Amino acid sequence: MDDLDRTIHEPARLRILTLLSGVDEADFNFLLNMVGLTKGNLSSHMDKLEKAGYVTIVKSFNGRIPHTDFSITAEGREALEKYWEELDSIRAMRDTRE
Amino acid sequence: MNTSAKKSYQAGDPRQIVRWARRYAQSRTISFLVQWVFIMVMVMCIGIAASLTQMAHQQGRTATFTLSVISMIVAALTLVWFSVSRWSGELVFSITNWLYGREGYVSYSGSCPEKPLPIWLTGLGGGLLAYHLLGALLISFNYVSIRYMQPWSAAYMTPYLILMVVYQRLGFWAWLWPVLYGLHAVALLLNLPVRFGYELELLNIVAPIFGYGLIAILTGHLYSRYALWKLKALTRGNIPEYDDMASPDGENGEDGGDAMHG
Repeated sequence: MDDLDRTIHEPARLRILTLLSGVDEADFNFLLNMVGLTKGNLSSHMDKLEKAGYVTIVKSFNGRIPHTDFSITAEGREALEKYWEELDSIRAMRDTRE
Repeated sequence: MNTSAKKSYQAGDPRQIVRWARRYAQSRTISFLVQWVFIMVMVMCIGIAASLTQMAHQQGRTATFTLSVISMIVAALTLVWFSVSRWSGELVFSITNWLYGREGYVSYSGSCPEKPLPIWLTGLGGGLLAYHLLGALLISFNYVSIRYMQPWSAAYMTPYLILMVVYQRLGFWAWLWPVLYGLHAVALLLNLPVRFGYELELLNIVAPIFGYGLIAILTGHLYSRYALWKLKALTRGNIPEYDDMASPDGENGEDGGDAMHG
């Protein structure tokens, strides 16, 4: 369990990163709709993922309306793959014990 | 490229989210529907103007004839401009975002800006118009029967559209258009009862182009509703709130913070 990436292991961030790994990019509203967090919580999680280098944030304006797009970085994709591999091995060990 | 989308996972595995996110993004077809409506309207305008031109010519009405020729040219130029202008792209994007509303924006092109379409495929797109003009000329000068108008078109359109679907990595719905268009051509060649009568001969090409296009777009849209439902269920249900995972640093995701946009 100690080997698991702490940034990704948080369920909301795991949901976000897994979603982003399936698409090129997604905006704030899409993630909000999917993950079911408040705007503040989502914003906070995205900041943490950005600081870890796992997502890229692009802020722009559609007319006067602010628009934020997110995409997973190569580093984020690699970290996520590694996370799933480690989680699989932990589960396999647990299943062996049982 | 993500590998999780290609692997198969058991029901309940959170990595299924990857596949369904991609499927949902691929089948958001409202932007195609917006373009379809515009092109349909413009083609109808061209068709009406062409009919008026013919009638005015037969009745010898010079003013009406001139006006309808100008209308036809303006409509055709508008159609070409709409197909290539940046403004129309932004308009379609805005309308699409407005129609999707609270679902937000998500994209999966597979091709990405850094990997553009091969030049030969872009060239084939240019050849599409030339090929159809050649067909129109051959039919006009009776080298080819008008009965073969749609099969002539399908001989180029079907493989071209299939290549576009493959290279742009569109969803399964996008295959429907070229496949149905190709099958329609085969049905016409076999004299199956899918042909419009002589007076409605033009519908033998117009109806398949727009009809099968609409079928493909609507199929994609319906599938996107299912994919959205499935994706939401997987995202919220397949990643547990620390039931078999220990909380890493005492976070519960409720630590607030400023929204990125209001």
